[in-house]
Amino acid sequence: MRFSSFIYLVGQGLHNMRANRLMTFASMGVLTVCMLLIGTAFLLGVNIDYMVDYLGDQNFVVAYLEQGTTEEERAQVEASLGGMAGVGGITYNSPEDVLQEYSGMLSQYTNLESVFANDNPFLANYEVTLTDVGQMEAVVAQLGALPHILRVNAPLAVQQLFLSLQKVITYGSYGLVAVLGLVSMVVINNTIRITVFARRREIGIMKLVGATNGFIRFPFFVEGTASGLLSAVLASGIVCGGYYYLCQWYAEHPTNLTEMFGGELVPLSQVWYLIVGTFVVFGFVLCGIGTATSIRKHLNV
Amino acid sequence: MIEFQHVYKTYETHSDENVALEDISLKINEGEFVFVRGHSGAGKSTFLKLMLMEERPDKGRGRIIINGQDLTKLRRGKIPYMRRKLGVVFQDFRLIPTMTVYENVAFAMRVTNISNKVIRNRVPYVLSLVGLEDKMDRLPDELSGGEQQRVAVARALAHGPKVIIADEPTGNIDPELSMDIMQLFEAINKVHITVVVVTHEHELVNNLAARYHNRVITLSHGHIADDTANPEVARRYLANGGQPVPELSYSV
Ligand SMILES: Nc1ncnc2c1ncn2[C@@H]1O[C@H](COP(=O)(O)OP(=O)(O)OP(=O)(O)O)[C@@H](O)[C@H]1O
Ligand SMILES: [Mg+2]
Repeated sequence: MRFSSFIYLVGQGLHNMRANRLMTFASMGVLTVCMLLIGTAFLLGVNIDYMVDYLGDQNFVVAYLEQGTTEEERAQVEASLGGMAGVGGITYNSPEDVLQEYSGMLSQYTNLESVFANDNPFLANYEVTLTDVGQMEAVVAQLGALPHILRVNAPLAVQQLFLSLQKVITYGSYGLVAVLGLVSMVVINNTIRITVFARRREIGIMKLVGATNGFIRFPFFVEGTASGLLSAVLASGIVCGGYYYLCQWYAEHPTNLTEMFGGELVPLSQVWYLIVGTFVVFGFVLCGIGTATSIRKHLNV
Repeated sequence: MIEFQHVYKTYETHSDENVALEDISLKINEGEFVFVRGHSGAGKSTFLKLMLMEERPDKGRGRIIINGQDLTKLRRGKIPYMRRKLGVVFQDFRLIPTMTVYENVAFAMRVTNISNKVIRNRVPYVLSLVGLEDKMDRLPDELSGGEQQRVAVARALAHGPKVIIADEPTGNIDPELSMDIMQLFEAINKVHITVVVVTHEHELVNNLAARYHNRVITLSHGHIADDTANPEVARRYLANGGQPVPELSYSV
């Protein structure tokens, strides 16, 4: 192909966008709305996932040391804990710490510290936070196998609940995204089909004066991908912009409820490229392929 | 150059089958000027559409050969390149409604990969040949029927085809302009371009054929009823029970 032909065909595609602006607006509108829905469903899913994660992370495993564990032995335990897979952080609570905590809680009723001054019944323990709540069971097993560990307390039932909750939400929201994506494909494909159908006569004439399929298809392809990309930019702007302000608002209006869920949303900086990337690919592929395929049957002249 | 060998064309309509051409055999040589005439529904347009591969002949019967290529065996991807060797004026014009007159003519050149520079020079020139150089920027809808037809003629000439095929190119034009257009075809034919013109304007055909010694082929109900290049055709046609062709009064 000559370079001038290439320029001509690109120009022709852009010209057609303007010439058929009603159809262009219609298909871009449909595409943008679809993307907005998909983006919203995605952000909803991501955030709920994030909150569940946060709640899960609030759980920790408590490993109690045997009475009379020496300092050296404790150092060994601590070293093994530090190297253990799945362990995020450890906090040591000496018997004195525990006594202090409980006596603080009960200070209105009694003075525990003086009662147990020489005979502290509390066990030293390690609070072990996990990098991933899903590994709780495995970590508990490992902890139990360590020497000088008397007992391990873990909220395994709660953890199960969180895990299944997270699974439901993940499948639910990404399933919704998939369904919306599929619906969008059908709707957009139909819109393109109508656009192409309205121009089938024109396509037939071009074929009869000797145009190759590629020559006819190219401007349609340019038109399709350009509207796809424009819609992607538009939808990205709306979704990311809207989400940015939502994040701000959310952080500035804390309530008990929001505090319970960590007090913040997934920051835009962590998701924007996913949204923009998905939209661009979605718009480009859907419109490009959609036009190329719906034009095909009219090319059989 | 153009050869039909025992070609049949049957249209499948939603209710029945319609035989438009039956056992058509003929040969048109390079540089010939041929008029094709015949009553409405005789099969003239069908004859041209077969050359352009807008319609396919009945499968497994006969061959159509253009420039040594058997169209019945031509691969799909090669069709556009074959079409570019032809310049076609359609009975219903077939201008692209969204393109200006200039762009319609230029389009036939662009598909042929002709450079922009040549296009810029040639489009106004061919439009001036049909007297439309001052209406280049109009859309087809903004032209009269006759003007649209002349744009179609200009488009058929634009890319310098070896063969011009015109279906009623003067159907919507007044007699004087018709004569001009026909003379334009005659002039093109002088530079060794093959011209096939379908027309029902008997007077014009008689007039021109006598003056320029053009060949005249008459179609009737899907058969060749007469061919001035081959007197044998008419004799065989009549012997097979064909209806005599009226008004074969011109002489060659
Ligand atoms: N697309 C089609 N489907 C079915 N039948 C058709 C089709 N096109 C043409 N025919 C039939 O084929 C026959 C020949 O048609 P054709 O168009 O070739 O005639 P023509 O000689 O060009 O007539 P006219 O002078 O009116 O243009 C007619 O009987 C017509 O009804
Ligand atoms: Mg006809």
